[in-house]
Amino acid sequence: MKVHVKNWHAIAQWRWDTGASDADDDGEGDVCGICRVPYEGCCPSCKMPGDDCPLIWGECSHVFHMHCLLQWIGTAASKQQCPMDRRPWVTAERKVAKQGR
Amino acid sequence: MASEAIQRQIATKWQGSFTRLNRDQPGILGLLSFSEAWKVASDFLQPRDLTDPSSKKEYNVQQIKVAIDILSKSKMLPMLLENFLGIQYPCRGYASWQHTKCIPLSADLDSSSPVCLRRQKTPNILLGLVTNTRFPYDDNLTLSRKARAHHSLRIYPCLPDTRFLGPAPIILERIQRASTSPPPWAPPSLNPTQPMRYDLPLWTAFEHLGLLDRYESLISSVCYEHIETHILETCAEKWGTPMLNQLREWMTNKIVPWMVMPYARGARSAEEARSMLQGVGSRFDFHVCKTLADLRTKEIFDIIVDYPDSSGALQDLKECLARVDQRAPLVQTLRKANKKRLLHPGADTKDIITQYVSIIRCLRIVDPPGVLLFKVADPIRKYLRERPDTIRCIVASLVGDDESGDSLVDENEPIQPLQQLQVEDFTDPNWEPEPIDAGPDFRTNKPSDVISTLYCSRNAIPGSKHDSQDPLWGGRFTNMTDSKRTDQHVQSQKRVSLHPTIISKHFWPPLQSSKFHMPGQFKQIQDDYAKEFMAFKPDKRLRWLPHLGTIHLEIELQDRTVPADVPPLEAAFIELFSERDLWTVDELIARVGSVDRTSALRALMTWAEMGVLKEDGDNRYRLLEVAEDGSSSGSRPAPPKPAQIIEDVPAVLTVQHQQAEQMKIFWKFIEGMLTNLGTLSLDRIQTMLKFAPGYDRTIEQLGAFMEAARREGLVNVKDGMWKLNRQ
Repeated sequence: MKVHVKNWHAIAQWRWDTGASDADDDGEGDVCGICRVPYEGCCPSCKMPGDDCPLIWGECSHVFHMHCLLQWIGTAASKQQCPMDRRPWVTAERKVAKQGR
Repeated sequence: MASEAIQRQIATKWQGSFTRLNRDQPGILGLLSFSEAWKVASDFLQPRDLTDPSSKKEYNVQQIKVAIDILSKSKMLPMLLENFLGIQYPCRGYASWQHTKCIPLSADLDSSSPVCLRRQKTPNILLGLVTNTRFPYDDNLTLSRKARAHHSLRIYPCLPDTRFLGPAPIILERIQRASTSPPPWAPPSLNPTQPMRYDLPLWTAFEHLGLLDRYESLISSVCYEHIETHILETCAEKWGTPMLNQLREWMTNKIVPWMVMPYARGARSAEEARSMLQGVGSRFDFHVCKTLADLRTKEIFDIIVDYPDSSGALQDLKECLARVDQRAPLVQTLRKANKKRLLHPGADTKDIITQYVSIIRCLRIVDPPGVLLFKVADPIRKYLRERPDTIRCIVASLVGDDESGDSLVDENEPIQPLQQLQVEDFTDPNWEPEPIDAGPDFRTNKPSDVISTLYCSRNAIPGSKHDSQDPLWGGRFTNMTDSKRTDQHVQSQKRVSLHPTIISKHFWPPLQSSKFHMPGQFKQIQDDYAKEFMAFKPDKRLRWLPHLGTIHLEIELQDRTVPADVPPLEAAFIELFSERDLWTVDELIARVGSVDRTSALRALMTWAEMGVLKEDGDNRYRLLEVAEDGSSSGSRPAPPKPAQIIEDVPAVLTVQHQQAEQMKIFWKFIEGMLTNLGTLSLDRIQTMLKFAPGYDRTIEQLGAFMEAARREGLVNVKDGMWKLNRQ
């Protein structure tokens, strides 16, 4: 017997490739350290998650909503530091290259 | 002494006059020819009553020319003119013309006689005037200026200045006839070398009468009128192609040559004429744009209905709006039309949405910055918000369970790049300020995805009661449209039979996650797709929800092919059966991960009902590589329910036979209805058979059956109507 797949309508969820916690998909998803909204949600100033409200990866391995972080960096108090570890914020090269499998 | 001096003076004068008149001819020959010439000329100039046919005379143009020539040599033209002007006005010709014609004319004005009558009369009178001014001015500037001053003094008072009574109709007539045959009342042309330009004599006459300056504005208004008529005739309801260029060509070919006469009559070279025409030409061009814009504005609603067949008209409108300030009227008209024709209880929500989408597309063509759109779309959005079924319609069209739904999402729309920050980039050399009529609350609809404009704004559609839900719905819609795009992209990289809907976790109700995973080729397909997805969106990953969705399969067995639409679990199981023919339920469950037993059994039952699997003792299932006689499985008194089987290759007699047995009963019904009702469509037969006890066939099966009956010669079909074949 042979099974031919003619058409498959499937459902999938997307999630950001945050690099860190992809061991188990069931983890309820991490939140942005600034706005405490899940990465897959969007920052308070956006309405749509996804490409409209992307993430930003720091070299310090911390990840935030891009809008949140830019707003933070824009304030004088930030001193251009990562809000989590107070190291100077350096935006990481895209992680994808490293992870490419 | 004194008298002698006078005498001598007179003699000299007389002698001078004689020489002038005699022109050095021998004897008094010159004098004779002069008096003859004078007679001819003054007779020619004698005013006539044009309405009296008996006064019409034929003139020998050559003879008159000779006569005028003689008079000119004798320097008697000024005299002739004086004489002409002298007799014209006081004596019967013009006097009677003035009194008999102009008085009834002004009477017409006061009375309520129809305009057309007045229109008719004035031209005739004016033409009389025109024909009566056949004075040969030639190139004598002083003479013609003098005559012009004289004429204007006399004629102005008796020529009305109004639109209808003035010379407007004649001018119009002349423009229209620029290339047709002369009207019956056309004046004999003095210039036979240009017989096709019937407007020329008119302009010459106008010039001589000194009318041109006075009626310049009138002439242009007549011309405007002519342009308007032409545009209405040629462009109304023709939206397929842009008309503006065609109209401009028409202007160049028809109107411009005509304009040369009244507007550039003094020009000595083409260059000069062009510069003289520039002002009036651009005024006329403006008028063309304005008229066209007005017309399209009036038609805008229907143009939008016709989109995309009306893109030509939209192009025109765009060009016209760049030249004419018609934006406000356009918005008003469209809003009014929408209110009247669209936003009322009689309109289907689906139609409103379709029209809304068309409006967006059309106005994007006309006004890319989107100011017009913003002003027009707002009332529609507000209205749609009040409709209870708006969301259902949108979702239906997005998900695609509605045939016409695809029109909402334009598959050809380019995939949008990542949204930039909303901050404007002022360093961009192509930056442009917002249009002047943009209101303070105007914001460009940056996401040019049509559907997103429906729900993007805070107070947009999502008709649900709470605004707070908006992003939720919006997120879901975005998911749908994004999925389609992503899928399009992936499919363009690699054709896969998998078309997933990719959703945002936080915008949907929590979906119970399931732990089972797809075996075999399904896993392969998923992985391939995920890989393409990763390449397309490097930041994102996919997480499959394996228990959701449907799969269309074709099971190829030794003796038959079974197509089926099944949930994923069913598909997973049957895939496992392609590894070996015999499985226990527990083994199956172990292979796909965690599935509860009930759903596993239900999945297996589906296949059993389709005759693909058979329960084979306790919890064991066996694949039926060859169909079994009688499809009921051993332990279960399952009713034969072959609803989902459609035989592709009717290879096995047994199945066919069994079906035919069942169909025999129904054939009696069919035969009965065809006998009673003559011809019937397949649909009707199916509907009626549904009343029959135990009938559970699909219309396809019925169709196959009827086809079989036709092959046996029992029935006939023509244009989809079946009837009995009677020998």
